[in-house]
Amino acid sequence: MSLNPAYLAGDPGGVGLVESPPDEPAGSASGLPAGRPRSMLRLGAAVFAQNRLAVAGLVIVVLLVLFCFAGPLVYHTNQADVNLADAALRPGAGHPLGTDETGYDELGRLMVGGRVSLEIGFAAAAIATGIGALWGAVAGFFGGLVDAVLMRVVDALLAIPILFLLLFLVTIVRPSVTVMIVVLGLTAWLIPARLVRGESLTLRVREYVQAVRMMGGTSWRAVLRHIMPNVAGTVIVNATFQVADAILLIAYLGYLGLGISPPATDWGGMLSNGTNFIFPDYWWLIYPPGIAIVVVVVAVNFVGDGLRDAVEVRLRRR
Amino acid sequence: MTTPRSRYRLGVCLVAVALASTACASSSGGSTPTGGNPPGKTADVATWALPPNTVPNWIWPFTPIANFSVTNASTFQWLMYRPLYWFGDSSGGPSINPDLSLANLPVYSDGGRTVTITLKPYAWSNGEKVSSADVLFWINMERAEKANYAGYVPGQFPDNVTSATAPDGSTVVLKLNAAYSQQWFTYNQLGQITPMPTAWDVTSTSTTGACAALVSGCAAVYQYMLAQTKDLPTYATNPLWQVVDGPWKLASFNADGHLSFVPNPAYSGAQKPTLKKLVMAPFTTDSAEFNVLRSGQTLDVGYLPTQDVTKAKAAGSGPATAGPNPLGSNYSLAPLFLYGINYFPLNFNNPTVGPIFKQLYFRQALQSVVDQNSIITAAAKGYGVPTTGPIPTYPDSPLVSTLEKQNPYPFSLDAARAYLTGHGWNVVPGGTTTCTRPGTGPTDCGAGIAAGQKLSFDLQYASGQQTIDTAMQSLKSNAAQVGIRLTLDAAPFNTVTATAVPCSGPKCTWQLGNWGGGWAYSPDYYPTGESIFSSGAGSNSGSFSDPSIDGLIHATNVQSGTAAMLAYEDALAKALPVIWQPNYTYSLTEVANGLHGVTPQNPFGGITPESWHF
Amino acid sequence: MIGYLLRRVAQSVAVVLVVTIIVFLLLHHLPGGPARAVLGNRATPQQLAQFSQQNGLDRPVPIQYLDYLRRWLTGDFGFSYKLNQTVGSLLRQRLPKTLILNALALIFTIAVAVPVGIYQAVRRNRIFDYTATGLSFVCYAAPTFFLGLILVLLFAQDLNLLPAEAPQSDGVLPIFADFRAMILPIVTLALLSIAGFSRYMRSAVLDNITQDYVRTARSKGCSSARVLRAHVLRNALVPIATLVGLSLPALFAGALVTESIFNFPGMGLLFWQAAQTSDYPVELGVVLVTAVATVVGSLLADVSYVLLDPRVRFS
Repeated sequence: MSLNPAYLAGDPGGVGLVESPPDEPAGSASGLPAGRPRSMLRLGAAVFAQNRLAVAGLVIVVLLVLFCFAGPLVYHTNQADVNLADAALRPGAGHPLGTDETGYDELGRLMVGGRVSLEIGFAAAAIATGIGALWGAVAGFFGGLVDAVLMRVVDALLAIPILFLLLFLVTIVRPSVTVMIVVLGLTAWLIPARLVRGESLTLRVREYVQAVRMMGGTSWRAVLRHIMPNVAGTVIVNATFQVADAILLIAYLGYLGLGISPPATDWGGMLSNGTNFIFPDYWWLIYPPGIAIVVVVVAVNFVGDGLRDAVEVRLRRR
Repeated sequence: MTTPRSRYRLGVCLVAVALASTACASSSGGSTPTGGNPPGKTADVATWALPPNTVPNWIWPFTPIANFSVTNASTFQWLMYRPLYWFGDSSGGPSINPDLSLANLPVYSDGGRTVTITLKPYAWSNGEKVSSADVLFWINMERAEKANYAGYVPGQFPDNVTSATAPDGSTVVLKLNAAYSQQWFTYNQLGQITPMPTAWDVTSTSTTGACAALVSGCAAVYQYMLAQTKDLPTYATNPLWQVVDGPWKLASFNADGHLSFVPNPAYSGAQKPTLKKLVMAPFTTDSAEFNVLRSGQTLDVGYLPTQDVTKAKAAGSGPATAGPNPLGSNYSLAPLFLYGINYFPLNFNNPTVGPIFKQLYFRQALQSVVDQNSIITAAAKGYGVPTTGPIPTYPDSPLVSTLEKQNPYPFSLDAARAYLTGHGWNVVPGGTTTCTRPGTGPTDCGAGIAAGQKLSFDLQYASGQQTIDTAMQSLKSNAAQVGIRLTLDAAPFNTVTATAVPCSGPKCTWQLGNWGGGWAYSPDYYPTGESIFSSGAGSNSGSFSDPSIDGLIHATNVQSGTAAMLAYEDALAKALPVIWQPNYTYSLTEVANGLHGVTPQNPFGGITPESWHF
Repeated sequence: MIGYLLRRVAQSVAVVLVVTIIVFLLLHHLPGGPARAVLGNRATPQQLAQFSQQNGLDRPVPIQYLDYLRRWLTGDFGFSYKLNQTVGSLLRQRLPKTLILNALALIFTIAVAVPVGIYQAVRRNRIFDYTATGLSFVCYAAPTFFLGLILVLLFAQDLNLLPAEAPQSDGVLPIFADFRAMILPIVTLALLSIAGFSRYMRSAVLDNITQDYVRTARSKGCSSARVLRAHVLRNALVPIATLVGLSLPALFAGALVTESIFNFPGMGLLFWQAAQTSDYPVELGVVLVTAVATVVGSLLADVSYVLLDPRVRFS
């Protein structure tokens, strides 16, 4: 889901690369682009704002963040003490969404779980995208042996089943939120790396980049100041999809029993726990976390789509 | 420009429709199934559901540790190759069953140092009689390859047999190196024997071996039989495995767990099979099995996962009494308990917290915050019994002492607090309790415990089971009320069993480990507990060591009668070598309406499909 | 081109070896060790020592690895004590089932996603487009285990239209005899990919429809349908081809959740159960198969990549 379709379709213009207008600030005297121009940013933001779905997605994400982080300040529940006498109550007085099988209030649990899901999602995506983008940019730009070695490392890591890595890490370290963030980040950087490598492969043959090198600019300078900003668009788009993927992966891990240890939980863990009770029909344990996951993933995808449209100015008419 | 608002609205409508339809679908999930034929429509074939994620994979009764399991022994090997003595009586209790045994009850003489076993007239399917040579074959094999046999304990059978002779074709006389408790010897030592046919005393398809006669001839036979057993696809075709003395013969075998049996026409037992075929069906998870069970079309004997019990049963009904059955239209519910106990060990050799664990008052406090009854009601829906000592409290038997029935350490936060404050701890409910009176006096914390040391421990437990999850969270929550901080760590079952093993030294860092299964007394059918509670025993996970208990355990091995057992039981129940946990049902068996003879079930997991009939 | 391919093949072999080394090393650092994993917690220290010694587990790790390598080259993938079968025979049992399930799911995905994507692009911003987008988002966002269970509940329990478990027969051909039972597993597995593929298809077709050459063709009198078939489709299928290449590893890796729910033991469950029971030979065998599939898939993807954009040299 994080591959850029425009690129794959062979868009000859490249992605995200737009010549800068002549009134560039000092420092790039020959009019070469030195990063994303301010007016491009404003143009992108305007395009984003016009995309109602993207705005709706952003609003939903913000609301969910508020619900999860500010909610417990308003709606107090005891998420530490088990209360077996009140286990698995239907929604009713005192418990708007009922209780789970250990007696915790489900609405409060949703807030707690949401905090964990969102934290892990955003943080893991940030780590993954950061590492992946740098790795891919370096590989694509330098080419040759560097590219081969770096990309074969990516291939090797991709070939190791992620379940194995996760199982291994779970047995070594107790799975807390921080551990899960690092683990997911370290397993998810591979796709952005490939993506950015592909982009920087084309970018490095761009005339302006060759001009930088001809003028004596070091390769690192070219990578950091020219390649990276121009793939920033794709990277940002990919990062948003990574958030969604991380939240889903955490859910999957919860189903496999590799998730966070109780009493902490996340939406995925709540959902997989709830699926044990489909037959006894404890619907209040199943649908709230399930819908929450669907809503946040869809909202994040809308935002990602909107960002992509903003980035691909050419292709926004569709 | 597109009109995202209408697009969004439509998208949301469709999503809502999709979810609503699934909501309608699952809201009827609690109703009894309609449609589908009732099982048993082929009135002479029964289909039995294997436990989830378990398939039989070892056919030779001489099973190594790696493959020893209830599935392999009780529900696979025993159908074809009867053990010398059968445990599990006709009312479902754990005592020996003379009717299903291949021999009469053993006779002890010479002060208990000589055992005479008289075989009943049973025949192998190839025409030969089940003879004393077959018993000696087993004993010799165990002598030669004891390291490779799952039930072997150093110093015990067959090391404690000084001579084994066969005066005639149906008598075996064993001379022992000491006088042993008759119950213990019969149940835990003779219970290991499965007579093997001379057809197996071979070293190739054409060469006979010499194992039944001489121990030295067994190594070659062992290698040959091992090679045959490792060849799974040939289980149903290899003529070796067709030589059976049990009521069933393997008709087809698939390594993925699909197998079927047909009756052995030469079976000598009183109850001959009436079914024409017994089919076993494997399942990946219990919910996959439950989906098939609900459809009511394939399975005749299956199991209900505990989380799918819709209504808890009435409080106060016996542990094995069936409550409301959500599949009542097609099946009847028969809860099955294995004869065993559930507990988790504390690592007495842990360098930092070992000294705390070694204090009895601490274990008493920790046991007193375990609310077994609430967990049984809430998590296991009533299908469980509390464990209060080494002897299973269900089914009742003369072995269960009054002390165990009364429970020396019931759930009581006040008692837990008293234990701790009475020994110099500052109890902080919701926080962490610390030691304020270090020392070795009667009201001090105890040897090796520093001032200010905290009651904060790591508890690793096996993930994947609802009941265990709930039990652990309940324990954490209750323990917090007296300031004992437990950090829970859910890990795969194998990780827990690999970590919670006897160890010592600075690397021995595990603290509490709960694999969720405790201990099932099989093949040690008489619960003397030497494998789990005596010093240095292989399965004494926490390295519990108490010389007086060792003495009492030894007494149960050498003194006949229940007095020694009761003494051991009471002492161990009070000594709390481990933290007892509720013993849950092994399976909530569902038996198709119309299939009779499945209950009462065997407390060691054995099935006797020869008694099943439609 | 040949030179490039040869270099890549050599690199792929190196990658596979590196993968196996990493996994081997990780396995031997798990707590407990392989002997304890096989013998369980009832084993005595002497039994553990004897098992280790009999199976060469007490030798240095590099020696053990080289021994494994040597046996792999002769076709001996090891023996699983827990399951009492050779790894080779386990792979032979499970791989065909996984291949069938995943291949059918992939075919189903393409068969549904391509027309849906095209139709969405051609009739964009109309009802069908919105519906398909909405459903595709839901399928993408709902975890597979959730969707699978709902499908079983709906179709197998309440409507009683389809069996609750996949065909239980041995071998591959009988699966086609009981095809009704494969429908739910295939659909469960495919839903996620259909969501992704159809979005890509839509996007790819749209990119091409707005191109100049399409306008030119139309202005020359070609009909829309002809333009679509002859020009747009060919270009738009290119990203699908790349995605299919990238899905190659998944064909071999199995689908854990689907196999679990529908009682269809394949490679996914084999690996998962081996990982849970620390059955090292099986884990290594499955990793080997998946690694080979991944590098082949990645090679194919890279080759198609280079074919797409001639400016990217073989470097």
